[in-house]
Amino acid sequence: MRVTFPHMGTSHIAFKHLINNLGHEAIVPPAPSKRTLSLGVRHAPEFACIPFKILLGSYIEALENGAEMIISSGGVGPCRAGIYGLLHEEILKDLGYDFEMLIFEPPLRGLLDFIKKIGRVIRPTRVSWPTFIKVFKTSWQKLIILDETEILSHQIRPYEVIRGETTRAFKEALTLIDKAETRQELDSAGQAAEMLLRDVTQDRSRKPLRIGLIGEIYVVLEPFINLDIEKTLGEMGVETHRSIYLTDWTRDNTVFDGEKDIKNAAKPYLNQLIGGHGINSVGETVLYASNGFDGVIQLAPFTCIPEIVAKSILNRVSRDLNIPVLTLFLDEQTGTAGAQTRLEAFTDLLLQKRRNKGDLDATGIFGN
Amino acid sequence: MQQGFLGIDVGSVSTNFVILAEDARVIETLYIRTKGQPIKTIKAGLQHVRNILKGKMEIIAAGATGSARNLSGIMVGADIIKNEITAHAVAVSRIIPDAQTIFEIGGQDSKIIILRNGIVTDFAMNTVCAAGTGSFLDQQASRLSIPIEDFGKMALAARNPVRIAGRCGVFAESDMIHKQQLGYNLEEIIAGLCEALVRNYLNNVGKGKEILAPIVFQGGVAANGGIAKAFEEILGQKVTVPKYYDVMGALGVAYLALRNYRETGITKFKGLVTADYEFIAKSFECKGCANNCEIINIHQNDSLLARWGSRCGKWEHLDH
Amino acid sequence: MKETIGYPTALSYYSYYPFWNAFFTTLGFSVVISPASSKQIIDWGVKETVNDACIPIKLFHGHVMSLKDRVDYLFVPRMVSVDGKTTFCPKFLGLPDMVRWSIPDLPRLIDERIDLKKGARGLLSTCYKIGNFLKQNPARVFYAYLVAQWVHRQYQDNLNRGIFPNKILPSKETGRGLNSIETEIRIAVLGYPYEIYDSYISVNLLQKLNEMGVAVRTVEMLSNKVLGGYRHRLSKNLFWQYSNRVLWATYHYLEKKIDGIIHVSAFGCGPDAMLDKLMQLEAKKHDIPFMTLTLDEHTGEAGVVTRLEAFVDMVRFRRESS
Repeated sequence: MRVTFPHMGTSHIAFKHLINNLGHEAIVPPAPSKRTLSLGVRHAPEFACIPFKILLGSYIEALENGAEMIISSGGVGPCRAGIYGLLHEEILKDLGYDFEMLIFEPPLRGLLDFIKKIGRVIRPTRVSWPTFIKVFKTSWQKLIILDETEILSHQIRPYEVIRGETTRAFKEALTLIDKAETRQELDSAGQAAEMLLRDVTQDRSRKPLRIGLIGEIYVVLEPFINLDIEKTLGEMGVETHRSIYLTDWTRDNTVFDGEKDIKNAAKPYLNQLIGGHGINSVGETVLYASNGFDGVIQLAPFTCIPEIVAKSILNRVSRDLNIPVLTLFLDEQTGTAGAQTRLEAFTDLLLQKRRNKGDLDATGIFGN
Repeated sequence: MQQGFLGIDVGSVSTNFVILAEDARVIETLYIRTKGQPIKTIKAGLQHVRNILKGKMEIIAAGATGSARNLSGIMVGADIIKNEITAHAVAVSRIIPDAQTIFEIGGQDSKIIILRNGIVTDFAMNTVCAAGTGSFLDQQASRLSIPIEDFGKMALAARNPVRIAGRCGVFAESDMIHKQQLGYNLEEIIAGLCEALVRNYLNNVGKGKEILAPIVFQGGVAANGGIAKAFEEILGQKVTVPKYYDVMGALGVAYLALRNYRETGITKFKGLVTADYEFIAKSFECKGCANNCEIINIHQNDSLLARWGSRCGKWEHLDH
Repeated sequence: MKETIGYPTALSYYSYYPFWNAFFTTLGFSVVISPASSKQIIDWGVKETVNDACIPIKLFHGHVMSLKDRVDYLFVPRMVSVDGKTTFCPKFLGLPDMVRWSIPDLPRLIDERIDLKKGARGLLSTCYKIGNFLKQNPARVFYAYLVAQWVHRQYQDNLNRGIFPNKILPSKETGRGLNSIETEIRIAVLGYPYEIYDSYISVNLLQKLNEMGVAVRTVEMLSNKVLGGYRHRLSKNLFWQYSNRVLWATYHYLEKKIDGIIHVSAFGCGPDAMLDKLMQLEAKKHDIPFMTLTLDEHTGEAGVVTRLEAFVDMVRFRRESS
């Protein structure tokens, strides 16, 4: 069967590997483009959040390319993402597409359902369970290596001497990881990727600003929506750190709860799960402040309620802990120029703050 | 003396009058800019109608529509006071009986009306924003210092419309300037603006609606051939602009007034002499509760004619 | 002098006021409600909230502002779950925190978590916690709980009999009250009670429909039993209590061949973006007129009236032509 899945950051490289090795044909959704967005906007409710619109657009593109099955993840609420699959299916069927939709709910919610759905995927191609587990492990490893490579690129970029060199190296690294099929190939691809990035010419005497990125996972992970914020900031000489990576997220929802610290940090301000990444946004801000970060940027889809609730509380956290927070609510109307201006102004503000603390070495890339 | 029927449509941008003969033929249409003075404009229109009809025809009944329908209805004694969506639909189903979709784009409002077998089955109006209405083009026209009347002609002359992004006028404007700086010519930019308006319209009011032919395109913006062409390009379907495209609301209520008179024989119409009456609107703030409603009093020659504006309705009795 | 508890007349007020009012008054407190929503209250709310918040959040903050300086306690419950299966929109979950970190100089908040995931006993233990916070003895709390339960049941029965909440609740609504009329045109006005019954924010639309000779149907007129019958209609329930009720009511009224459905929604409401589309697709399958009315602090009355009139016209023409 021809199978497609959501496009999220660099994860499609790992999903492609998984689907193809289970004997199906992966229809990799094209990287989100203006066309993806306008298809999504045309058929999605006006106030649906931007991730919903992008996913809808990319499903339509994948269906045009012959996809017969869409695999996506569910969720437990109260964030809207858990309803996406259901509504995407309704809308696409209303548009007259013929396909099967498979939505994986977190296994902790119903293991039997989870296993049944995996069965739906591996039965047609007669893949045995042990084979499935082996393939799944390799793909998972791929996902981890992708995440690690990306983290490294954000650490190196603010030190690069030639602008854009890190990004070029990172793209090359992705190609290597994509080509790796077996576990051994993957390990050496991972090492080669690291070498590629470490070889970028760097000026280690800089003391870059450190900004924590918080907010809703999809817009944090998808450069097309967040206006490539990590690259943009990196090239302005800022080191970004985000606590959300896809491997974290899937891990939290499968086996154990790795978010205890974040929840504890949020407790004085918000002691209640409010869905999405709302509580994370509050807790991470507290943690970034106590770890000496210069500032925090909150990224969220326009009309995202958990993040609106978080923003209401973050005003106070920012004041109490003396850490500047910039919130960007993103939708299809967000213009690059406006966001760029805000980011530059925000980094200027952080630099000024450092200087006021008597750190005269603080320089941005522009030497201002 | 012949009998005539009057339809009045008072909107935020224009005030329109239509006169129908007994056999529902259109005798005369009139289009006046409202300029924020509805009372003055309505009186001027009535005066004009009186001059045209002098001794040839007597207006028997009238209908009112548009955002100021209650004001104009009270002033002239209209028998029919109808919302503009129904009025537009009635007009179209009289002129083009098999129409299935109506695009209506005015200065600040836009609507889509879906008809099946001559009956309205669905409609939508623009909500929180004027993207996809005429004001979007007006802004850009003044920015480019080109009369809006020339827009249609220029748009039709373009070979490749430029894609102009942005929902609201301000962002579209900055994108337009950017495209000018890249060296696109004026015709292509104007055609691009027309396409942007149409895209915004379809994504806003047209979202989720089943657009089937025949499609009728009316409202003040329908004068612009560039917009009609953009609709045809984007939808891949033919779009018809009716003869009285800019006064369809008034036409609709004129029909309704005519039909009502035929069926009942009763009329409340005060006659064209209302053009001579003195109408004054006075307002005061009600201090009865925390809402502080603005209450409007409409006076006709010193006597109180109507009053509105209170949320609770306590001012609706005129002897209050 | 009795101690006073402020009760903002917004959000869950329309569903649970009779219960909590009976509970607190039986314990010997005096319950003070905020005045009906007004321009003043909206202005306060807009000032105290982040501008991305939806109108119900802004309204709630406005109601808190109107009460905070004249009461000893403020009742801001954290609604988590009332049926043990679904939860509420995140704004209900984070409500006490938003209020606490946005508005200065508040009285003490009664912000107990109301989470009945552990069954109906959960409510009693919530009452004990609140009683403990208010330094009441448990026996008295238990008695107050029984009284409140009884009052709540009465309220539910009245709603299911078709009486509008505005008729029963004490808040001085600016509307002159609604009447359950029976005419041949029946329109279901579906949405959240804190939008539909707040006549300020809904620009009094229920009454306007009444005056146009329309028999209005709402979610609250349907019993939990009737609504619950649609629980398995979708492969997955929506997460939000109020949204599910609206969706199930949509299924019900469509089956009952209602003449039209008007969905009342707040501008930028997250759950409604999903819900509205589901309702629209369902109405399409049944070929029944459907319209969405979006409300916010800028909603103009004229625009709403135009749409309502056009919708009622449309329904009438359809009836006449069929």
